[in-house]
Amino acid sequence: MILSTTRNPWYVGLVLAAIAVVRAAIQRLDLSTSPLPFSILRFGLFVVTFSAIFNALSVHFGRTVLFVIPPAIPYLGGPVTLEALVYGTLNGLVLTGLFAAFTVFNQAVTIRQLIRLVPQAFFPVAIMVSIAITFVPVTLRHARDIREAQAVRGHRLRGLRDWLPLVMPLLVGGLERALQLAEAMTARGFASTDEAGHDALTRLTILLGLTLLIGGWLLRLVWGYAVGGLLLLLAGIGLIMGILWRVGRRVSRTNYRPQPWTGADWAIVAGAVGAAAGFVVPWPGLDRSSIFFYPYPQLSWPAFQPLLGLVIAGLLVPALLALRLPVKNKRGVKRPSPTAQRGEPQIPPAGGLGGP
Amino acid sequence: MIRFEYVSFTYPNADRPALDNISLHLLDGEFALVVGPSGSGKSTLLRCVNGLTPHFSGGVISGGVTVNGLDPIEASPKVMSRHVGFVFQTPEAQFVMDRVEDELAFALENAAMPPQEMRIRVEEVLDLLDLAPLRHRQLDTLSGGERQRVAIAAALAFRPQILVLDEPTSQLDPKSAEDVLQALVRLNTDLGLTILLAEHRLERVLPFVDQIIYLPATGSDLVQGSSAQVLPQIDLTPPLVQVAQKLDWSPLPLTLKEGRRHSLRWLDGRTIAPKSHSESPPAGRPYIRSEGVQVAFKGQTVVQGVDLQVWPGEIVALMGRNGAGKTTLLKTLVGLMRPKQGQIVVDDQNVTGRDVADIGRKVGYLPQNPGALLFADTVREELAVTLRNHGLPPQHAPVDPETLLAELGLAGKADDYPRDLSVGEQQRVALAAIMVTCPGALLLDEPTRGLDYRAKQQLIDLLQRRQRAGAAIVLATHDVELAAIAANRVVLMSQGEVIANGSPAEVLGASPLFAPQVARLFPGTGWLTVDDVCESIC
Amino acid sequence: MRQRTLSAAIFVMTTLIGIIAFFYPFWLPLVKQSAITSQSHAADSPLMLTLLVGVCFVVLLLEVQGQATSAKLIALLGMLIAINSILRFIEAAFPLPGGFSPIFFLIVATGYIFGARFGFLMGALTLLVSSLITGLMGPWLPYQMFTAGWVGLTAPLCRPAVWMLNGEGKWREVLVLALFGGFWGLVFGVIMNIWFWPFATGPAGQYWEPGISLSETLQRYALFYVVTSLVWDVARSAGNVALTLILGLPTLAALRRFQSRFTFEYRPLFPSSPTQGEL
Repeated sequence: MILSTTRNPWYVGLVLAAIAVVRAAIQRLDLSTSPLPFSILRFGLFVVTFSAIFNALSVHFGRTVLFVIPPAIPYLGGPVTLEALVYGTLNGLVLTGLFAAFTVFNQAVTIRQLIRLVPQAFFPVAIMVSIAITFVPVTLRHARDIREAQAVRGHRLRGLRDWLPLVMPLLVGGLERALQLAEAMTARGFASTDEAGHDALTRLTILLGLTLLIGGWLLRLVWGYAVGGLLLLLAGIGLIMGILWRVGRRVSRTNYRPQPWTGADWAIVAGAVGAAAGFVVPWPGLDRSSIFFYPYPQLSWPAFQPLLGLVIAGLLVPALLALRLPVKNKRGVKRPSPTAQRGEPQIPPAGGLGGP
Repeated sequence: MIRFEYVSFTYPNADRPALDNISLHLLDGEFALVVGPSGSGKSTLLRCVNGLTPHFSGGVISGGVTVNGLDPIEASPKVMSRHVGFVFQTPEAQFVMDRVEDELAFALENAAMPPQEMRIRVEEVLDLLDLAPLRHRQLDTLSGGERQRVAIAAALAFRPQILVLDEPTSQLDPKSAEDVLQALVRLNTDLGLTILLAEHRLERVLPFVDQIIYLPATGSDLVQGSSAQVLPQIDLTPPLVQVAQKLDWSPLPLTLKEGRRHSLRWLDGRTIAPKSHSESPPAGRPYIRSEGVQVAFKGQTVVQGVDLQVWPGEIVALMGRNGAGKTTLLKTLVGLMRPKQGQIVVDDQNVTGRDVADIGRKVGYLPQNPGALLFADTVREELAVTLRNHGLPPQHAPVDPETLLAELGLAGKADDYPRDLSVGEQQRVALAAIMVTCPGALLLDEPTRGLDYRAKQQLIDLLQRRQRAGAAIVLATHDVELAAIAANRVVLMSQGEVIANGSPAEVLGASPLFAPQVARLFPGTGWLTVDDVCESIC
Repeated sequence: MRQRTLSAAIFVMTTLIGIIAFFYPFWLPLVKQSAITSQSHAADSPLMLTLLVGVCFVVLLLEVQGQATSAKLIALLGMLIAINSILRFIEAAFPLPGGFSPIFFLIVATGYIFGARFGFLMGALTLLVSSLITGLMGPWLPYQMFTAGWVGLTAPLCRPAVWMLNGEGKWREVLVLALFGGFWGLVFGVIMNIWFWPFATGPAGQYWEPGISLSETLQRYALFYVVTSLVWDVARSAGNVALTLILGLPTLAALRRFQSRFTFEYRPLFPSSPTQGEL
């Protein structure tokens, strides 16, 4: 959230530093469950370089001209400016930051934990996702068997058409497995028929909520009633949240491995939300102009507002919590009892480190 | 207690009923075995017990079913899940979660059981099926037998009084199958669980079974009774029972121990010249020759220094434990895996490192799961696809596809959708799709897995016909009886090496692990199969 | 009937809000001129956009999911999503030309055969699961999920066209789906660009700035689109068409074959209460 609103190198740098610290702290706990496909650092270097060069070459805007490419060359011709180079670099850094934030988040929270954090109202979706993830390795193995079986029959991959013998058995095999799994689930007490849809009250409330939402937004944006619009918006969101809660409460399910929402979790959420709010909400008395850093037309030294810098420190909460904990076994492998995990930091799925 | 009264059931769009006027009765705590050829309605019958038929399948049902005083049709599978645990054939298609503990808790979570109660139940079933050491494991790292035990544990989480199992061991190797069946016997004897089991492997469970329910193919009536009553009436029996029937042993032995009591008495006073299995050593050049082949998979050596020769006109059984390197060796012979060292010679040509598609014309390979092969709309089309792959126009096919289908007993199925056929038929379609280029060798990986006695016999006949026609055949198998009946030579592998290579009598007859039932009954005679016994005495 | 109307109303409403939100850079200048907008409101509109799209997505997901406790629906979707995620692995593993991705074909096909609810879940969750597995999550994920969900949600719109052509099970049907897939191949790119385009404030004549007029917005967007994405989107579109033409007939046949197994009517002779079992 912060990253997408600012291009001020001070703040971008601080956020990147915060992400790096959190990552280091989490790695100390040896929580990394999945090895990264490639290193963040290399990704960052590549993106920053590429973005800087691309921007410098394609944007011929700004006062500090470094050198001039002959205008005869199409697209590239023109002055190459320091401003464009700086802006490209900043954009690259922002992208790296977003990517790094998601990677760190992935490292800290396993897929299964994420699924368990899905609100009760969406439990059918959570189960679908769970099944899909369970069956990906099975399907991969099946795909390998199919490739081998077809190869023995003289099958070669020459063109698009040759995908048919590979994709069809995969699909049909999957459908057959789906039927077997559905049967197994039914035998274990899952209903085999489906009452589609919610009751009228739920739907009407949702519609009302949506109407309030759009009304509030338009009021604010088009007719300029800032406060009234905001109230409508909040009312709409409130209604929809209420409905989610109501639908969730109707789902009768319990959890074998309840994950209690601890004080540590609240601290992390508070830190992240605080940081985001500092940048997004126009607080009275806070000079926000330093957020909107813009190097064009003339590169200037970016302003720094210490209060905003301080707000970013909110992102460091998970790192602080992680440092307090003793080094543990690999997460998700050994879990003696639900009580023993209470101290572990739970990085929340939403409103977190660098969401859009 | 389970009671069926005049139950008939017809699937949607089917022209004849799958169950026709079935009545049966089972008491609490009984262990009942359901047998019958594939397609006789075993699965349908079992699914009536918890209401999956007709709630899941659709269709029309009549008659009355009572299970624990409830009508499963009226009560729906959801309610029945508290009374009846159900375990299915394929271990991999029953799981929703990816870890053992989570999977066991899944059904309980959905039933909104309080967490404290849930923990007790999970611990309970973990102990019942000896799964405690595996509780944190990922399901896809478990063996098939372990996964089936997890499936049984999951089915028992609701503490049902009845456990129904639909061919739970047909996809497992003998060792895993035995583990699963032993677990069932323990559940029945220790807990008094009522068990209804459909199963091909009669020999392991016969001693523990109270009742056998025999469903004949079609037309004739269901037979229910004790083992001794029912076994003489059915034609799908293990070798021990067949021998006992041939020799009129009474009472009918159900275990080898009982059988040996009969056989020792019977052998006493008779002088039997040990049957010699010496066959003339194969002449000419081998069709497939591997020389010092070494294969590594994921950095581990799986096959090391194997020299194997297979001559035209012989059937070689490749045996050994799981992970002994059988499948890897077959895959290497057909070019799916590259040897690190050594070479492979097929039909006097060095094919090491050649493309699979090229080798595939000379060496047919049938993978464990024939379903991986089948994708076309009709059986006939499957054959045409292989020909097209090899760039052969139908008129120049080495063998006429229609003749081949007729030979494999598929003449009437040429226009059917391959994946709707029975397991045995699917396997033969896959074989046809491989054999249509007339390869000189056939390699089959676990060909009898999931087949009933009849389909197995059909496969053996088929292989022997190909053998007489001069094909070199290799079977990688756990199936001792198959090796005893069909093979000319048995090659035993362990840890990637060949440790024995000789006639079935030499290799199997003496082995404590691999000896077929007949060899165990008549030690020292050199007999391996029921036919050997008949030949000697008739 | 009333339930159906309400359900349809929710579909329409969320889709409308989604379109309005996604396309706000285009209509904003139209209303802006007459409005008294202060600086702070312009600044919070990207935030509002994210919020609105998010809420719409949540509501739509809730609606299509229904009270789906049917084991068949859940198992079938789970398995199809697994297969489609594997296809996305292929996309990640081999450098396919441009934005070509094999996942859209199956989303369109399942949405077309099994209906809008199913299609939406298939689209949205395929993107979710494949990103979870490959670890390539990013801020674009919610937008991708929403848009891919739309692809599946709208796929049943092909049905009337196919009926009119009387083409079920024939080439004409595949052709309709291929065109539909091709269309979405392009539109997917357009939508995916729009969500971040207003944020990617760059100075070139290709980027959006608050206060520019509609025609200029369109011009700039068109330029931006041609420069950055056209090649990718054309490749994606062509890939969808080619894949549908090649895999279309057998895939539709396979899905239909299973559709009859997943949906059936339960007619017991006794007891006499018939229940409807369907997806």
